[in-house]
Amino acid sequence: MKQENIRNFCIIAHIDHGKSTLADRILEYTGSIDKRELKNQMLDSMDLERERGITIKLNAVELLYHKDGEDYQFNLIDTPGHVDFSYEVSRSLAACEGAILVVDATQGVEAQTLANLYLALDNHLTIIPVINKIDLPSANPEKVIKELENIGFSANEIVLTSAKTGEGIISLLDKIIEVIPAPKGNEKAPLKALIFDSLFDSYKGVITSIRIMDGILRKGDIIRMMETGAKYDVVGLSINTPKEKSIDVLRAGEVGYLYASIKSISDVHVGDTITLDNNPCLEKLPGYQPMRPTVYCGIYPVDPSKFEDLREALNKLKLNDAALTFEAETSKALGFGFRCGFLGLLHMDVMEERVTREFGIELIATSPSVVYEVELTDHTKIIVDSPHKMPRREVISKILEPYVKCSIFSPSSYIGPLMELCQEKRGNFIGMDYLDTERVTIQYEMPLSEIVYDFFDRLKSCTKGYASFDYEIIGYKESNLVKMDILLNGEIVDALSVIVHKDFAYQRGRIVCEKLKEIIPRQLFEVPIQAAIYNHVIARETVKALRKDVLAKCYGGDITRKKKLLEKQKEGKKRMKKIGSVDIPQEAFLSVLSSKESS
Amino acid sequence: MIKNCYIHIPFCKNICTYCDFCKMFYNQNMVFNYLNALEKEIQSTYQGEELETIYIGGGTPNCLNVEELERLFQILSILHKSSNMEFTVEGNIDYFTEEKLLLFKKNGVNRLSIGIESSNPETLKKLGRNLDISLTKEGIKKAREIGFSNINVDLIYAIDGECNHQLDEDISFLLSLSVEHISTYSLMIEDHTILKMQGEKNIDEDLDYSMYQTICKKLKENGYLHYEISNFSKKGYYSKHNLCYWNNQEYYGFGLGASSYLHDKRITNTRSYSKYIKGEFVKEIENVGISEKIEYQILLNLRKKEGISLEEFKRLYKKELISFYNYSSLLKEGLLVLENNYLFIPEDKWYISNEIIVRLLGCEVYG
Repeated sequence: MKQENIRNFCIIAHIDHGKSTLADRILEYTGSIDKRELKNQMLDSMDLERERGITIKLNAVELLYHKDGEDYQFNLIDTPGHVDFSYEVSRSLAACEGAILVVDATQGVEAQTLANLYLALDNHLTIIPVINKIDLPSANPEKVIKELENIGFSANEIVLTSAKTGEGIISLLDKIIEVIPAPKGNEKAPLKALIFDSLFDSYKGVITSIRIMDGILRKGDIIRMMETGAKYDVVGLSINTPKEKSIDVLRAGEVGYLYASIKSISDVHVGDTITLDNNPCLEKLPGYQPMRPTVYCGIYPVDPSKFEDLREALNKLKLNDAALTFEAETSKALGFGFRCGFLGLLHMDVMEERVTREFGIELIATSPSVVYEVELTDHTKIIVDSPHKMPRREVISKILEPYVKCSIFSPSSYIGPLMELCQEKRGNFIGMDYLDTERVTIQYEMPLSEIVYDFFDRLKSCTKGYASFDYEIIGYKESNLVKMDILLNGEIVDALSVIVHKDFAYQRGRIVCEKLKEIIPRQLFEVPIQAAIYNHVIARETVKALRKDVLAKCYGGDITRKKKLLEKQKEGKKRMKKIGSVDIPQEAFLSVLSSKESS
Repeated sequence: MIKNCYIHIPFCKNICTYCDFCKMFYNQNMVFNYLNALEKEIQSTYQGEELETIYIGGGTPNCLNVEELERLFQILSILHKSSNMEFTVEGNIDYFTEEKLLLFKKNGVNRLSIGIESSNPETLKKLGRNLDISLTKEGIKKAREIGFSNINVDLIYAIDGECNHQLDEDISFLLSLSVEHISTYSLMIEDHTILKMQGEKNIDEDLDYSMYQTICKKLKENGYLHYEISNFSKKGYYSKHNLCYWNNQEYYGFGLGASSYLHDKRITNTRSYSKYIKGEFVKEIENVGISEKIEYQILLNLRKKEGISLEEFKRLYKKELISFYNYSSLLKEGLLVLENNYLFIPEDKWYISNEIIVRLLGCEVYG
């Protein structure tokens, strides 16, 4: 394919604005896929993605489009929509020249619409604004056009589509050809290719997704990874149409997959540049800023013998998710596990679920923590990403915590409760702008730990789900923070400790104790639950002793049923963690996460 | 050798709100078809053993009319009965009329089990038991005159709203009947019952516990032996039929929804009337292998005061119990007691017997 007929683009959107459905429709209209074959959200290959309706791992697909006697090659590179995955978004953006910005005709511009738009503009991409879901009765495209005009687009740039009915898709495809620039690589220059994704396949080993910037890559070439220096024979090249198709050559401007019998996951760095060993290019592509995790939590296998399996699983996941970090840690309560770092809460959720689902390992996750900077009395500074790493009070001179700037988009009728929530979360008001008369964006500075705690849930409930939200880390500030321990039967359970602001400690301690009281079943003896700060008890509850645990009746010899009930009880017991002499259900470790009052 | 037999009669003229057992409204036509199917089931399964216990339960077996009961006994006449057999019929007091009592007597029934459940009219209403409890004394007197000298009554306690005073009244009422056997059940709110659908809640666990303690104390003071978790009797009047379950013995179970334990299989019959009368009797069969058998032996024997006979255990399974389940930590914690080669749950821990059994089964020795 000649380079001027290639278009590399991605689709960006706020979550649920119909990005994946639009991608499906593009596949269908370019004839890449039969309507019959179309599962909803074809590009999302993980079950988890299809279920949650979010795109987690990116995916590139090559489509052929015919217009005015010319053949065009479209490379559609899928991106995740959520803020936690902005690292991956920027990865895919680097492989593209253009982006389709999808906005839901019923929802309008949302927080991540803007966040993703800015990312795309930072990457010098040409943007095609699309208003999708115009078939819905509640669609209000005129209003959304105004919003888009307010953020700098002109009305004639905007394409109206319904990914559901197919309306507007052809205009969109034509617009892609018209507006998005063709790649401008030099085929004659030495090979320079960007690794923008990789994944591990148990049959083929490591598979990398690449975009050729300059030069030509052929099957059989010997390649070199410029950052790691590792060398490999190119065993195979392929493209995804979206069925996999082997090819012999990839040229400047094109996108494809590379197999090179890479067995060691650590040799492949997403963002690294691939060149030819015998004719290397002079300098690497800029690559990506590695993202630093903002949220940490402990992950432990429920079955202690699965520790090594868990390590293997995390290694494999890290392969195409460079942002995931982990190191082994030990908890007195939970045994051997890993301290894992994530880009955000959703990233954490998705990873935990992938470990459970794709690798079949049941997990206990401890309450997430942000990364604190602690200045000691001897003027040294340490980093604390876990409550149990917090030093003794006597040696601490001050504790700093990460702050974020967050933007909340909401109907203006919820301003009152929103501001109340943000104040309560130790937020400092920065500013407020009206997008139109009914929609407003509010900016606050807020400690990240407050967001990690329960901000999402609270935001959802105080705006009936109408608000959207995005944040970025802006730096560290000193705070009056303390470590709160939870004691069961007089023993500190390390996995339940949290770092909290002193003003919230009493309330938080009370809530956690109440929750635990509800979750921990009665035991053979009374179990006191205490919350303590520096050995000073601030809240207390008691799990009463078990008083009734007997199957009174057994009618007519239905013994099988009795045994089934006992087996269920036995299974339930197995799923609990024994700490000292107390049996604790797995949910207990999550209870410190949630602020919901016990009901 | 099978020595025990349960017969299920699912018909009731009134459905109790707590009942999750297999039951249906009485209807003459259905009873007729049902008895025919029951006859077929018995004839196809029964191997002619001499039986030591028969228990006709329900439902409300004594709500059948005299002709239907005569037909039932005619069906049961093929069962061989030992000379000292225990033959129980269950029912409500208002259907134990003189005529039916005489009929039972004539057919060898020698034990009656009467569902009283409560003496409080409000509670009875809540339980959906539409009967006149004041008939009880008169009814039992009549049964005695006819010659029934082994009578059980049931009591349900721990019903939401019930107070200790009401429980005391219930116990006094039961004691005034001078029956040989008393079964007490703390109310369980089962799925698919009217109570569950009405959103009935369990009472506070601590109150339930104190009620259980009161019952145990009062019945003991009045000469009843607490021989099994929820059963009390005068000396010599243990329910032989119930003990066959707790002793892990095999038994026949005939009728809709009935369970049987035959030749190392635990069989549960269908609860579907239409399938049953078509002759599709069985719903589920559990094969009881040696390890399951041991599990059953433990969990059933531990219901009894005397617990597990370690000698018998060794005779049955060729090895000591402790080589299958290492219970030494439970002995140390006082959750189990070993005396005279019997392993049992001490009486003051019966209320948590499930927890103890689950722990014991968790002490399995592998290899």
